[in-house]
Amino acid sequence: MSKVKVVNKQTGAVLKATPKDGGWGHPAIYFIALCIIAVCLAPVLYIIVNGFRDNSQMTLNPSGWPNPWVPGNYGAVVTGRIGMFWRQAWNSTYIALITVVLVIVLGVMTSFVLARYKFKMRGAIYLLFASGLMFPLSVAITPLYIMMIKTHLAGSALSVILPQVAFGLPQTIIILTPFLAAIPMEIEEAAFVDGCSRLGFFFRMVVPLSMPGVITVAILNFVGSWNSYMLPLYMLTDESQYTLPLGVQMFSSAHSQETAQILAFTSLAMIPALIFFSLFEKKIVGGLTGAVKG
Amino acid sequence: MSETSSAATAAPEVELDWSIESEGGSVVLPPSAYVRPRRNHVRRNLEIIILAGPAILLFLMFVIAPVIVALYYSFYKWKGFGPTNADNFVGLDNYKWTLTNPEFWGAVGHNGIIMVLSLVMQGPLAILVALLLNQKMRGRSLIRVLIFVPYVISEAIVGIGMFLMLQDEGALNKLLGLHVGWLSNPKVAMWTLMFILTWKYLGFAIILMLAGLQGIPEELSEAAAVDGATFWQIQWHIMLPLLKPTIKVWGFLSIIGAMQLFDLVYVIWGQYIATTAGVSTMAWFMAANGRLSGQLGRGSAIAIIVFILSLVVAMIYQRWVLNRDTEGALTEKEED
Amino acid sequence: MNRMAKVSVVAVACAASLALASCGSSNPGSTGSGAAAPTTGGAATSSGEQVTMELWHNGTGEKGPAVFEKAVSDFEAAHSNVKINITIVQNEDFDGKLQTAMAGGTTPDIFLQRGGGKLNDQVKADQVMDITSLIDPQVKSEIGGNWALETLDSKIYAVPMSLQPEGFWYSGNLFKDAGVDAKSITDMTSLSAAVDKLKASSKSAISLGGKDAWPAAHWFYQFALRQCSKDVIQGLVGAQNFDDPCWLAALQSLADFAKTEPFNSGFLTTAAQQGAGSSAGMVANYQAAMELMGAWEVGVIGGLTPDKKNLPDLGFFPFPKVDGGKGDQAAMMAGADAYSCSIKAPKECADFLNFLGAKAQQEGFSEAFSQIPANSTASGKVTDPALKAAADALAKSPYTVLWIDSALGQDTGNAVNAAVVALLAGSADPAAALAQMQKAF
Repeated sequence: MSKVKVVNKQTGAVLKATPKDGGWGHPAIYFIALCIIAVCLAPVLYIIVNGFRDNSQMTLNPSGWPNPWVPGNYGAVVTGRIGMFWRQAWNSTYIALITVVLVIVLGVMTSFVLARYKFKMRGAIYLLFASGLMFPLSVAITPLYIMMIKTHLAGSALSVILPQVAFGLPQTIIILTPFLAAIPMEIEEAAFVDGCSRLGFFFRMVVPLSMPGVITVAILNFVGSWNSYMLPLYMLTDESQYTLPLGVQMFSSAHSQETAQILAFTSLAMIPALIFFSLFEKKIVGGLTGAVKG
Repeated sequence: MSETSSAATAAPEVELDWSIESEGGSVVLPPSAYVRPRRNHVRRNLEIIILAGPAILLFLMFVIAPVIVALYYSFYKWKGFGPTNADNFVGLDNYKWTLTNPEFWGAVGHNGIIMVLSLVMQGPLAILVALLLNQKMRGRSLIRVLIFVPYVISEAIVGIGMFLMLQDEGALNKLLGLHVGWLSNPKVAMWTLMFILTWKYLGFAIILMLAGLQGIPEELSEAAAVDGATFWQIQWHIMLPLLKPTIKVWGFLSIIGAMQLFDLVYVIWGQYIATTAGVSTMAWFMAANGRLSGQLGRGSAIAIIVFILSLVVAMIYQRWVLNRDTEGALTEKEED
Repeated sequence: MNRMAKVSVVAVACAASLALASCGSSNPGSTGSGAAAPTTGGAATSSGEQVTMELWHNGTGEKGPAVFEKAVSDFEAAHSNVKINITIVQNEDFDGKLQTAMAGGTTPDIFLQRGGGKLNDQVKADQVMDITSLIDPQVKSEIGGNWALETLDSKIYAVPMSLQPEGFWYSGNLFKDAGVDAKSITDMTSLSAAVDKLKASSKSAISLGGKDAWPAAHWFYQFALRQCSKDVIQGLVGAQNFDDPCWLAALQSLADFAKTEPFNSGFLTTAAQQGAGSSAGMVANYQAAMELMGAWEVGVIGGLTPDKKNLPDLGFFPFPKVDGGKGDQAAMMAGADAYSCSIKAPKECADFLNFLGAKAQQEGFSEAFSQIPANSTASGKVTDPALKAAADALAKSPYTVLWIDSALGQDTGNAVNAAVVALLAGSADPAAALAQMQKAF
């Protein structure tokens, strides 16, 4: 494919990467952002700070500051004295990553078909996936478990990943399809002129051009998998295979729930998901970089 | 079917005429002048199967098949284990039980309120924040990450934290010296829930809007700025209309999310007091009266009812909101 | 010897079937099922077939896992052919996960048994082993009358580990500050008088975890125990209705008592045992003077005190008399924690249950969980004065009744509990609450 550039006929603008890291914005923007951030973070800080208290302090004075500070909750989690934080963090990570990769690959391919091919079954397929959003996982869990037993997958990471991918597809496809449909038809046609097949067009133009959407659904699916509780609970039985949310629950019992330790555990469990987000957040911006220039 | 559902593939309303320039010089290709080479249908269908087949197969296996099994169980008084046979076949009793239960209809009403309030409260706020954060400015990445934090925390933990803060004897009342039943007073609890929902899911809306904004070429706003348009004029007349497809997709996901809301209600209010607090939802009602009561057959029936109600709402949304702009946007005729 | 021979026959049959279908591949515990010979003496089989069993329990928290690990390793040491895999399932998730396992045919060999309606459902679905003939005679006599809670149609399905009689657990210090003598609380009048004094001197008189519904419902059960005759309350499961006027009287008694506002403020959204801010946590930290609860309360409160030790001034008194009630005014309500075998479990499972029922393990569990052992010979390990008082009251009880929600089964039980919450929330009067309960059958 030879070098092409996309030019708007009316404005003469060229579709290209734009530098996004400008100077300081208007102070009002920072002020509004600060207010929203304060509201967003207050409950989170409450959770983190209470991880430094103990049950008794929390019962006696719900709004108090740690007195004394109890670093033991965090220490116990990190050193593995309670729970298997690192093991479970690894389980959560690889389950989430495999889920994301599968959802994205399958989702982009299917969305491409729904967005760029015109055929009779198109509406029906779209509706099929959309209907998946309307059925709660909790009802499907028993049939799913029986299915996993019959296929000898129960207890393995796949028994969590496969249903998770399937349940993640609807949202992924609904978000991605408009992104792919929004790619100007002329780009596709130009690609054909250049002798690109539709599949070639898919890989060389569609995938790069839909990056903002792809990264978005990747983040959403990662977070979904990271926090998923029900599927791992029913599918996994071996504690060494547990994911972080299950690990959190293992701290608590009907007879004495270690609220403070749970809060400490969660504060730590949140960090990897945030790292993942901050790494990929930048990719949402500037998704057009280099894509169109070929 | 195909007309309504293709709606979600809505293209931007503002038609942009893009042309392709090759290195040698400008070769403007008006859309109509271009003749697509004839390609054979077998190949096209094969492409469709290769691209969409795996996802459809996986989806049928792990979503649709269990749903069909659940449909089967909904006709039985089934406890979650043991056989289903003539002894515990109850026909439509589970459906009748649900549809004649005033608590269920109370929950349906709550879902309706949540659905509307979510759109009204989260939508404008998310769009505003996304437009602001789409500006070139320092520290933007950090701000985005921080706003996204609530979305990353699992519902279970949000529940524990919020419960500790909002109890009658909890941190918030202690801090403010109030005695408000944030969770227990039926007049207050719904607003508490809406605040928590907005707090938790605003990040989701913002990230979606931001992604949508990236598809809008910056040159449009730059050109408008050159012509003397103010910031807000640009947002209102250029960005917002072009963001419409994204807003509509978010609206769709938000509505379905509101219809299916369960986690936060359950972790904060538990299995029993959501009805008295006035925050019960259909999915909560299903869990409380289904699995958590050891009545999986009944739970399945409630799930089917919720499914049908959600589907009706989704179809109405498709028809009245998504479909309006698609005429003309999807001009290409079906090839077969 | 006879048993050894039988075991090896089964082993051969199993080996033969390996080629056709893997024999217990996903659930190795099911090997050798059905070979249970009636001659179990708890004696070790040193060279039997290798057997692996799955054990599911809910003993999370500080001490729970260790007690089970010790019990299992002791048992494995005595039975070299047995390997037991332990899975801990969080209490609130336990029933759902067990249900799913039963539906998938992977029922664990040994599992926590809640009894009552749930046991009944499991028996009907052919999931639980009838261990009547497999119980060690000595264990059988030592546990004595306490088998009743695990018996259906005169067949025994589980070995009880602990008994949990219910009554008031109070802080001696707060009572002293308010000038209340626990011994003086014998009827509703004296209870109300004590509540008034306590409200004047401490933060809350009685804590109640209304969010979980069952703690609120237990107030109704206790009033019903006093108001209803023995025949009515014990015949409830058979009758499947609340027609007797005593049920309405019990709801009325509760409504009247609730009107005096004896509970902590915000009791409707207070959790029962979930850590900070729970009703048990309030007693553990002197935020409330007492709570109506089963005997697990001692251990729960112990886990929530600042130093994680049992509350030193904790006391116990039974539910007071109710004037005009038709029930025995000394009767107790109680539950039991028990363990069952899956119907597909190997016969070593019953050996393990016998092992749990014998004195040594009952003592260990009693000590670790601060609970009253089901085996009377292990009662020496009950040292906590409050727990002792509860055990004494239980011994004097002319008859004991299981929690009404457990007895009726999950579905009906939940509906009854929810109706009591509606009553306490003020959204239903006693008659409306009764109608709501009736509908649940």
